[in-house]
Amino acid sequence: MKPWKKGLAGERTINTLYFYLTEGCNLACRHCWMGPRFDATGNHYPTLPVESFETAIREAKSLGLSGVKLTGGEPLLHPHFSRLLEIVRREELKLTVETNGLLCTPEVAAEIAKSPNRFVSVSIDGTDAATHEWVRGVPGSFEAARQAVRNLVAAGIMPQVIFTVMRSNVDQVDAMVRMVQDLGAASLKFNVVQPTARGEKLHENLETLNIADLIALGRYVEQELAPNTRLDLFFHYPHAFKALSRIASGEGCGVCGIFGIMGVIASGHYALCGIGEQVPELVFGEVGKDRLAEVWRENAVLKALREGLPEKLEGVCSRCLLKERCLGSCVAQNYYSKSSLWAPYWFCEQAEEAGLFPSSRLGTRPA
Amino acid sequence: MNQTDRPIANPIVVLREEFDDWAVLFNPDTADAVGTNPVGVAVWKRMDGKRSLDDIVSEIKKSFEDTPDSALKEIAAFVNTLAENGFAGLELERKIADA
Repeated sequence: MKPWKKGLAGERTINTLYFYLTEGCNLACRHCWMGPRFDATGNHYPTLPVESFETAIREAKSLGLSGVKLTGGEPLLHPHFSRLLEIVRREELKLTVETNGLLCTPEVAAEIAKSPNRFVSVSIDGTDAATHEWVRGVPGSFEAARQAVRNLVAAGIMPQVIFTVMRSNVDQVDAMVRMVQDLGAASLKFNVVQPTARGEKLHENLETLNIADLIALGRYVEQELAPNTRLDLFFHYPHAFKALSRIASGEGCGVCGIFGIMGVIASGHYALCGIGEQVPELVFGEVGKDRLAEVWRENAVLKALREGLPEKLEGVCSRCLLKERCLGSCVAQNYYSKSSLWAPYWFCEQAEEAGLFPSSRLGTRPA
Repeated sequence: MNQTDRPIANPIVVLREEFDDWAVLFNPDTADAVGTNPVGVAVWKRMDGKRSLDDIVSEIKKSFEDTPDSALKEIAAFVNTLAENGFAGLELERKIADA
């Protein structure tokens, strides 16, 4: 197992800042775990000031920052997106962009491509307009997303397509692999709908897959589809369900990155991650007003997590042999569900209740 | 008592084989676990204190296609890692003499 990256003083470093650049979004996705307000033009709701972006990066660099993730809302809605990219290049940071693709023109794709170390993902939730747009809520968004992938490929970026599986599109899994391959993407990631914000409603309305179907689908994607496509395929479920060969190959999907990230939300506040938009107690301070080093070192939640993870995890997570890698899969989701940093991950809990948690991955230390 | 070159599995450790022939080795005394590939599983099943490392490698070469020239080195490293973590040891001379 790799040791956690630590700085010269032995403290944990901030590897990546996750910037949630906009409070609005130009789509209205049924499964969104952030729940931004609909904003077709980006002019109606707050966006992160460029000064806050620069300040957070400057302060994080002394704490070990090596990369940024630009997400939303919808990051390309940010009115100064090109300026943000310039700052990322100037600071020689790894760049990750998560976009729905609507505004990813050839010019924007070329601007992103100027960053030598970049990774871009585009969300597409079906192989036809009706399926994708039922999920995304905006007519025309399907073809725009596909064109975004083409624009990125033309600019020299092989993006990842992210496909969130649910009842309405699960019959398109095989066709999705073919479509994404034809578009020229490098990889396809299958996301599971998280029961947070709008995703919670989708779960309540039984529009999501049940736990048995999710586990079976993950196995199918990893064991049947992945060996037969040039795409890299990832199924975003916890490590306890992944084949050991996938884990041994270094796949990190389904692992909480909590020890090395800090979120910056559009209001200009530090937060655990984007969950700060939903859960005020996971907001840690204000960019420019509170020193990041102090927040990073002294915030009570972060300190508790460093001291308590993974040993304090409860329920099935406490007995999981992979808890030191997985760290509860998603602390933000767990907290959202049960108001506890140590709550077990819903997916694993449901699997155990259904008798589907792999028994080979469970074990406890004798008292 | 001298150690032999015959590795022996810690008898308390449980081999939990999975659907794809990989496996988890689980020590219920400590709750330590390690994952291993099918070759490691085959090695583990032969760590009976009677076979030497050379014997095990020879058997592995017959069981798996395209075994690399570095097999002995890799298997020795695997066994050493198991030993360092309490999953295995090396049989002692006296036990062999008693057997």
